[in-house]
This record gives sequence, C-alpha cells and structure tokens, in this order.
Amino acid sequence: MKLRRTRLYVPGNNPHLVENVGLYGADCLILDLEDSVPITQKFDARILVKYALQNVDFGNSEKWVRINSPDTPFWVADLNEVVPYVDVVNVPKVESYEDVEKISKIMEDIEEKHGVEKIKIVPIIETLKGLTNAREIAKHPRVVAMAWGGEDLTAELGIPKKKALILDHVRAEIVIAAKSQGKMALDTVYSNIRDEKGLFEYARRARYMGFDGVGVLHPNQVEIVHRAFKPEDKDIEDAKKIVEAAEKAMKEGKGVIALNGRMIDKPVLERARKILAFAEVD
Amino acid sequence: MVEAGTLEKGDARVVITDADKREIVVKSKLERLYGDAVRKTVEEMTQGINANILVEDMGALDWVIRARLEAAIRKFRGEEE
Repeated sequence: MKLRRTRLYVPGNNPHLVENVGLYGADCLILDLEDSVPITQKFDARILVKYALQNVDFGNSEKWVRINSPDTPFWVADLNEVVPYVDVVNVPKVESYEDVEKISKIMEDIEEKHGVEKIKIVPIIETLKGLTNAREIAKHPRVVAMAWGGEDLTAELGIPKKKALILDHVRAEIVIAAKSQGKMALDTVYSNIRDEKGLFEYARRARYMGFDGVGVLHPNQVEIVHRAFKPEDKDIEDAKKIVEAAEKAMKEGKGVIALNGRMIDKPVLERARKILAFAEVD
Repeated sequence: MVEAGTLEKGDARVVITDADKREIVVKSKLERLYGDAVRKTVEEMTQGINANILVEDMGALDWVIRARLEAAIRKFRGEEE
C-alpha cells in the first residue's frame, strides 16, 4: 500500500531547496509552481522543475508537482513541462468533475506524445463550489486522493480561518467524498512550523478523522507526522495475528478466516492490513 | 535582452543579448573548481545562437545551469513568459 502520510511542499523556483529533497523522508514531495512562485518567475520555475524531476534524487518519495489552478493562464504550460516526468499532478482550486476532465484531456495528449503511462491527479478542494461537488470529483479515475485548503473557503464565508468552526465539517466532507470512492483523503498543512506538540496533536486528530496524511511545510515536520500516524503497539500485534490467520487460511484453501474461535470478516482484514502499512510492517 | 534564474545560493543567472556572433562570458563563484565545466555546458547548449551570453554561477549544479539556460534561450527565441 502506498503511504501518503506526509507531502512536503518545496518552492519550485529555488534550486538550493529542491536539490536535497530526497533526504527528508517524506512520503510525497511537492515541487510547487503555484503560491510559492511569483508571477514573474513562473516560466523559469516550470523549466527548473522539469529538470529537477529528471535529475534530483527523490529517494523513496513520490514525485508531485502542484501546478497553477485551472482559472489561471499557466496550468497548460505547467503540464506540458512536467507531465512526462512526474508521478502525481496536484491541482489547486478544483471545482467540478469537468475541471478534472479538462486537465485529464490535456495530460492524455502529453502522455501519448511522450509515451508515458497515465499520471495520477490529486485535486485540492478550496471553494464552496468545489466542496459541493467533492463526491463527483472523487469519482474521476485519475484521482487517487483528495486534499483541501481553507483560505479561500473561509474568505468566501467571511470568517477568520483560525476561528472557523465549519472547517471540521469540511474535513469530514472531504473524508467521506474521497473514501466513498476508495480514494485517500489528505488533510491540509499545520502552518506553525515551530510548534511540534501542536503538529503531533493536529496529525493525530487528522488520523482519527479518517485522513491518510497531512501537508507539511518544513522537513522537521515529517518525522512528527509519521509518528502521529503510527498505530499503537497493541493494534499492530492484533493486526499481525489477523493477517497471519488470513494467510494461513488461504494456504489451507479455507474460505473462512478464524482467529481464537472468532470469525474474521473482510473489513477487519482490510483494517489490519492498513494498520500494518501505517506501521511500516511488511 | 532576456534573462533567467537568480543570484541566490545554488542558482545561476543567465542573460542573453543580441549580437552578430556568439560570445560567452562565465562568472563562477567556484571558477577554479567548476569554471571549465560550466563553460562546457554553456557552449554545448548555446550552439548556433548568435548572442552575448552571460552566465553568473552561484554554485549551481549542472542541471540547474541547464534549466536556466533553456529558460533564457526559449525567451530569446520569442517564447512568451
């Protein structure tokens, strides 16, 4: 199972920050062409990111690029440079299934031209319209996970982000939309990079809310989030026994999995496998 | 005149201006160690371009210099930013 507990944002216009990204151990690395790149540097940045994708050692991290949103004049040029070399395209301000389809069509042409396989998409839901359509957006076959951002949403509602009680509802809606389609749900960033305790609690809360990961802004946040997503020892031990029992039943050709006289059904086995994946146990 | 890149640590700035023949100037922070390698990359990537090409290297890796050169060359050839 591919883990996406952490996705580390790195400004796409800064070669000094980009060259060491593989050392940080994040599950996913996002070379950013959107908010961290000023308009005057968009052209240079997308070419720099194209070269980085081909030359930088990303270690075991999945290679993501956050392109500019579909309501800007930049997103097609972004795709043209990065699609042949990236694992996941992260798309901000997605508002509808049609938005994803529009991007997917352009990607298809580039993939065909370069003879590469289908690249995945992770949309970011940032507006009320996007939230309303989240369940449809999650259905798109290219979408492997769904992320969200609160700045535009709270601005639309006219409430300060830090006091916005509605964001827990937004979080729940993102989890339901993504998970109902078998996709991952990814929580937004914890922006206070000095508050380690706060980050741990934030990531724990995200995990129990049903998220599969959170965004991170600094390499120091990676280990803390991975720790927060690590299951309890007792849960790991129980999960190991369940998976072992399932493997034994399969070897013996039994249709029913039993452990200590208790029948194990499919959802329990799936949860056990997920616990082992998050515990990084093979 | 077009330019690409920055003078930040680990980056390079490339400036290309119209001229009748190619002239390359490389100013490298690490001239003694990497000056020749940078010059070789610039020569390879700017073949056939009649222009003054200035590369200011702030300790950039080869792929960074290539990226900044490509950006500057594409702008020089009229690609819009």
